[in-house]
Amino acid sequence: MMSIAPKPNAALLIAGHGSTENPDSSVPYFEHADEIRKRGIFAEVHCIFWKEEPSFREACYLTDCEEIYVVPDFISEGYFTQDVIPRELELSGPTSTVRGKTYHYCAPVGIHPSMTQLLLRRAREVAPDIDPSETTLIVVGHGTNLNANSTKAIKDQCEQLRQAGYATVLDTYMEEQPFIADWHELATTPNVVVVPFFISDGLHSFQDIPVLLGIESEVGAAASQREVFRHNPHELHGRKLYYSSAIGTERLIADVILDQIHDFDQQHKSSL
Amino acid sequence: MTQIDWLKQLLDQGFHRIGQIEIFLAPDSADAYWLCHESDRDSVIAAHGQPVDFLITSDPYQAREISTYSLENEYRFTKGQTNLRSGWLMKLHGLNDLLAAIDGFYPACFGLWVAQQRNVLDVQNLRDKLNRQTGMYRFARSISDEGAQQLVQEVCGPAHQCAKKILWQLDENTPLADSEASRFNGIGSGLSEPQAIPLLCREACNHFVAECRKASKREFEAKAQS
Repeated sequence: MMSIAPKPNAALLIAGHGSTENPDSSVPYFEHADEIRKRGIFAEVHCIFWKEEPSFREACYLTDCEEIYVVPDFISEGYFTQDVIPRELELSGPTSTVRGKTYHYCAPVGIHPSMTQLLLRRAREVAPDIDPSETTLIVVGHGTNLNANSTKAIKDQCEQLRQAGYATVLDTYMEEQPFIADWHELATTPNVVVVPFFISDGLHSFQDIPVLLGIESEVGAAASQREVFRHNPHELHGRKLYYSSAIGTERLIADVILDQIHDFDQQHKSSL
Repeated sequence: MTQIDWLKQLLDQGFHRIGQIEIFLAPDSADAYWLCHESDRDSVIAAHGQPVDFLITSDPYQAREISTYSLENEYRFTKGQTNLRSGWLMKLHGLNDLLAAIDGFYPACFGLWVAQQRNVLDVQNLRDKLNRQTGMYRFARSISDEGAQQLVQEVCGPAHQCAKKILWQLDENTPLADSEASRFNGIGSGLSEPQAIPLLCREACNHFVAECRKASKREFEAKAQS
């Protein structure tokens, strides 16, 4: 993690998706905000959402700070980070002045190189005693035909992960090829570790993907409503399958948020 | 004036209620505040700040946790809902923590009120909101004016568990039809300003948009059938 100089006059807005149906969806964003707030780097740290309150459009009413960093707590560059957030916050570039306030719009957490270490850490946590050389590491994302960029972050991360000693590293998706539902055909090793490349344990990582993997036969309740979390490994198709919670639930994502701010300052503020 | 300055001024004028939250000065300090559910005020005072079986916290950010579920275990996805749980007490130090707690219970609502006082609150009408919906919510924009007016009366206002004052219209030229929901002033306690400040609704919430989508689908199907 890079060090970041304190910004006692600036606010940080962590932008997330949120959900009107699943209360677990926004938990990681608030945890990342809590973690950064504790470090005392910013005057204020707030979360803003597309589907929850406060909304992106209410962001400007949350703070008196005149300098505001916005970090999309999103996993990839795509529709939300390139269209929705700039439109809702009325941003016109990396740095914009809106109603007298200066907004710095950083890149989303998912595309930062430091995410690779978090993915590895999560894979090792969920399956600590297995031999990587007999293991396929699968990173699963949403995938959509609506935006070609949405899979780039996963592909880039997998490229880096291929140097970590696993027999195979695969990128898979819920809604485009290669499909996560075909994991048992894609992976040939005795052990398979699946890490969801999502921010929260929301509908996809805790409800949809377990069904696609075959761990569950039907969509279950939200993660926080469960009495018993899943137990690894799952014996399926003659393999040992290890399934982790979403990468965004890792508290160290807070460091990735700060890394994105550090990179923003390096790239854009030095030229101001 | 910062939001903290506004808050201080408001407290000096007797402000003690926002939404379902009661705020009072702690008896032992000039810069400490107690927050509780409005229905718990008397029991908190009678118990000298140590009510039995209450969650007592000094962390303003616990507001989010307290306000996520109602007592009936329903997910409160819009924070203006009038089913905030009772049985908790926050003992906070300083105005920054007080504002953080208010923002936790009613996100951005204090800032919206301050913006309104400053005449810089930007209100977004329903048509503008619906027209920028994409994906599965794109269909919401097809709702008729009549359908939208009807929906306000069926979804908004304290009769439907929302304590916010609606500021938006259907569009620039079409105000909301007169109803209990459109008349509601955003102060559910019956108090008046500055003892209480209203919760403001500057744009239709995502719940309302989702209902517009459903209603517009029903309208489409009804038309197709006829």
